Amino acid sequence: MSHPREDLTALLDGALAPERRAAVEGHLASCDACRAELEALRDAVAALAALPPPPEPSPFFGARLEARIAREAASPASLAWLHRLRWRLALAATGLAVAAAMAIFTVRQHRVAEEQIAANLDLLDDYEVVASVGDVSSAEDAEVVASLDELSPKEGRP
Amino acid sequence: MAQDADADLMLAFQRGDVSAFRALYERHARAMVAFCHRFVRDPARAEELAQDVFVKLHGFRDRYERSARFRTFLYRIASNHCLNELRRGEHAARALDCEPPRDLDALPGGGPTPEEVARGAALERAVARLLGALPEKQRAALVLCRFEGLSYEEIAGVLETSVSAVKSLVHRATVAAAAALAPQAAPSKEALP
Repeated sequence: MSHPREDLTALLDGALAPERRAAVEGHLASCDACRAELEALRDAVAALAALPPPPEPSPFFGARLEARIAREAASPASLAWLHRLRWRLALAATGLAVAAAMAIFTVRQHRVAEEQIAANLDLLDDYEVVASVGDVSSAEDAEVVASLDELSPKEGRP
Repeated sequence: MAQDADADLMLAFQRGDVSAFRALYERHARAMVAFCHRFVRDPARAEELAQDVFVKLHGFRDRYERSARFRTFLYRIASNHCLNELRRGEHAARALDCEPPRDLDALPGGGPTPEEVARGAALERAVARLLGALPEKQRAALVLCRFEGLSYEEIAGVLETSVSAVKSLVHRATVAAAAALAPQAAPSKEALP
């Protein structure tokens, strides 16, 4: 039998099944190391049992407990109502914040698009002018349109 | 299930008998304060925590079912509450405090000598350090086993784990106690006739 170390505390606590207890005790009879370990565990259990007793409840324990329960019982409905209201307000506020953020985002996107159009209005005009003359499908055509302002009337501006 | 007078009281309370609840806390207040004190090492806070346990018990009135022993049910509430308290960490430092024993006259033997007082104080500090250093499940298992006297089966019910897991938890915690308390155990052993 290998050293039944995991069973030694249970042996002290009387928590081993009879068969296992007999086997562990048989091992202890011939194993100095396990007997020494069992003694150390026994000493630890005895030391813990020798601790000064823990504090007693105060004389007002019951009175304080009943007062606290009465206090909490007196206001559960209002507290629950407040709790629910607080959650609803939080949800509503979150919804409003999300809606406002989406509205701001949409307006900003729209404004950016308008600004881009405004900034390129001349270019669009030029594009329309060139498109009225013929097809603008190649990259070279687009480059010409982009630098149309730089061209003098002599260089072919219609 | 064996006769469980506490469960009867809880069921009576469930039916509206307020005096049954009073009987329950009168029967268990001392054990709950002691149990909580093992976790927080502070008598005033231990009393507050014990009160919290009974407030929770009061709140469980309508949901209580006689599926386990009442004591297991109560210690489960108390264990969870104390472990949550420890997780908040407010009492980690206090657990290692070197406070003297609260009631020196209460030391074993009655009428302690200064040497016994010093030994009791040293033992309390060593146990506080031990409990503070143990992983929380080992700590709970050790307290329930060594101080509250619960069986492995009851501890398994409280900690909602298996009996074999409890056996391992209690063993590892007791091995740690043997290492931590060896200096305290040796002199008292020498003092024995």
